[in-house]
Amino acid sequence: MMRTIEVLLVIIIILGASMIASFFAVLPSPREVSPLNLRRLAFTTLQVLDVNYSLSRIVFMSPNDPAWNELQIALSACLPPNIIYNLTVYEVQSGNATELYRFKMSISNAESLGIASDAASYLVASSNVTFHVIPEKIGTSGVGGTLYILNCSDARGWWIAGYTAQSLAQDLKNLLEPYFKTTVMVQNTTDFGKILNNNTLQGEVVQNAVVINTFGEAVPIPTEYCKPPYSNGNYANYSYFLGQQVRRYNWTWASIVGYPFYYVSNTISLKDSQNGYGIYGMIKVDKPGMNAFLQGLDNEQYTPSSASVVGDVGVVQLSPQVLDSCNYYGIYPSPNQTSTRAIQKSILSTYPNLTVGLLIFDEKSGCYPGALYNHRNGTKIEGSLLALGLTRTPDIRLTAIGLLSYFKPRLYASEYTAANATRLVVLQLGLVGGV
Amino acid sequence: MVSSTIDHMVSVMVFLGALLLFIGLFNQTIQTAILYQRHRYLATKCSDLLDNTLLNPGSWSGSIPTSFGLQDPEFKQYTLSPFSLMRLLSSSGDRVYYDKTGKWYSNVSWGIGGGYLLLQESGCIDYLTASKLLGINGTYGFQLTITPTVNVAIVEDKSVTDHLRLNITVMGQGSPLAGASVNYLIFWANSTTGDLRANTTKTNAVGFVLLDFDGNDLPKIEVSQNQTAYTFIARVSLGGLRGVGYLSRETVTKAGNIIPFIESYENGTILLAHKWGKNDPGKECQGALHFNATFYVLPDNFSPIKSDVLNLTGGPWLVNYGQEKPFYAVQIPPEARNEAGFLVVTYWREDENEYEYGMVVMPWGIGVIGLSVVFGGDPRGQEWVATDVRQVLVGDIAYQAKFALWSLEGFGVVG
Repeated sequence: MMRTIEVLLVIIIILGASMIASFFAVLPSPREVSPLNLRRLAFTTLQVLDVNYSLSRIVFMSPNDPAWNELQIALSACLPPNIIYNLTVYEVQSGNATELYRFKMSISNAESLGIASDAASYLVASSNVTFHVIPEKIGTSGVGGTLYILNCSDARGWWIAGYTAQSLAQDLKNLLEPYFKTTVMVQNTTDFGKILNNNTLQGEVVQNAVVINTFGEAVPIPTEYCKPPYSNGNYANYSYFLGQQVRRYNWTWASIVGYPFYYVSNTISLKDSQNGYGIYGMIKVDKPGMNAFLQGLDNEQYTPSSASVVGDVGVVQLSPQVLDSCNYYGIYPSPNQTSTRAIQKSILSTYPNLTVGLLIFDEKSGCYPGALYNHRNGTKIEGSLLALGLTRTPDIRLTAIGLLSYFKPRLYASEYTAANATRLVVLQLGLVGGV
Repeated sequence: MVSSTIDHMVSVMVFLGALLLFIGLFNQTIQTAILYQRHRYLATKCSDLLDNTLLNPGSWSGSIPTSFGLQDPEFKQYTLSPFSLMRLLSSSGDRVYYDKTGKWYSNVSWGIGGGYLLLQESGCIDYLTASKLLGINGTYGFQLTITPTVNVAIVEDKSVTDHLRLNITVMGQGSPLAGASVNYLIFWANSTTGDLRANTTKTNAVGFVLLDFDGNDLPKIEVSQNQTAYTFIARVSLGGLRGVGYLSRETVTKAGNIIPFIESYENGTILLAHKWGKNDPGKECQGALHFNATFYVLPDNFSPIKSDVLNLTGGPWLVNYGQEKPFYAVQIPPEARNEAGFLVVTYWREDENEYEYGMVVMPWGIGVIGLSVVFGGDPRGQEWVATDVRQVLVGDIAYQAKFALWSLEGFGVVG
């Protein structure tokens, strides 16, 4: 009898355990087991309503505006009948306001959303607000910061077929001006002569400047240099002088297309000379021009040399670093270009102080189709050359992205806190019916 | 001694019985909990797969895609490509076999409101391939349904005989679209004229609008005895919500009618087929059917841009079954092929006494005229189906993407 009583006691204990376990093991309702993702549905609903910025327009209207009725009809129409909603708009406060969000308006089709609801929020900006990206100015944290764009009216370009140097200069100015402290359009060869002698044109800093030659394979030559010794060697000596000045002022000289320093041009002083193709005001320096420039840059004694330093390498590809910069700066030239004047890698052995500061295009067949070279004196950079050995016609976006990739100016997005310009839209959804 | 033994035996038996009963009770609770857990996992998986499909443009180049996704590569978030959707092998309508080419065609729309979208199956992605690319082949089944959020129903009022009257009803998912702006285009053709007219109106409080083409505010269009054919496309917008609907007056003349088949999506080749096969012309078909085909690109501003199709077959624009001209090949011009638009085919039969006109429309891209797409398996009969839904855009038209997912491995916990 005792055993039976003991068993009954055990049964009572197990029954108690079972009841307690059942009490605590509360299973969720079927709706919670396999729920609609209301948060995602709410978010996508807001996105659909904001197609063509309709939602952004309506939430800034006065609460009495009929557009709110339209929004409510649209909201009711795009949600299934078993879904109830509450759409609330808050004004985002800025400055020293004590509350971050202030209630503006609410529309709903039910008094309460029940116990199972979810919400998504969507930040919209007034159409009156414009957002800016402010670029860091090159030279802000150091010296330099001047951009010279050669726009000489008394010079002619070569290998820039389809463009004029002046139109290229204007496009470059539009692209690069925001990134430099000062941008100076060098309007004639006289002004160019001034900066070659460290004289400012508009109070800018000549030292550490960037000089873009928009004349392609030709280089403008001031009148005072159209004579010996600069005219020696078919004006190769002038290129040597340019190399020296680039080193002296630590300039970055940019050649936008073709074989650098292949011609010199001055439509007044050289008006009776032609470059061999019937273009007057231009003299062909030929291959010695580039060699002389590099000698000047390297601070060597000038020795005439007719050796070619370029190769024809065909289709080339932008380097990964420059491709990244394309996305950062939003400049998108074609990543594939044709290079017929790629500078041979061997110049680095001929001029040991020359190093590659930036590969604009990937190396190909022992040549650099586009690169920025630094002349180094120990660890110090004294003059640089950006050379794009591409075939005509030039794409000045490549020069721009090459310079930006090298100097890496940062982009600062403007703040998203314009007063009363931002509203937060919260859409809360709930389910009705069923279990 | 005996009574003690009996006491033991009884107590042990009662104890064992009680124990088994309680094990069963606990087991039931645990089984139910595991099932619930699996169902919840299925719902989460469903939501993930839907987002994966909608937020990924996929790779559609080449005959075998390398990833599955429907997002428009040119847009962000939940905007879908009208062309990727077009290339899903439809599971809503019966496959169509056209014996003149010996090929099967995906049937998104077979003459619904005079609209046809039949794309050769080799240009489509099928359910099995999509399952493999989603990584769920053999483990889960799914069905993806893309339907317009706004239903624009356009019906010809047959009680009016002397002119064309169209009744348009605009309904959302949960309520009618009252006060919505309705922009519409109507193309019509008859023996004397053919024209295109665009206009705007508004729906009333119950989302209804009536258009009388009686020669007063609108041009007079007479459709009795098939003397005029037309294609009507309406775009509705209200508070950011946009929908589209259409109606094309497809008639079966005594010489049959014309069905457009997309022979090659890549090349934009369309076969304008004389009614045959599934569209058997029957014995009543007599003589040649003349036609005209024009492609229109439909940009966001709802102003169609006409683009003449290229004539691949050559010769006069007619099909005649008896003369071995069962179909006619045209091509959408390359510059228009990447734009969403529609092809309007006007056909007519003429003899000494009468003309009969008909018109069909074929969208180039889902969303242009508001077609729906159903892709995947059949969820009917499955033990547990999880569903999830998103609001999406196709072009600027609001659609809902519904994803149904079920397990192919069963949910049995015991046995």
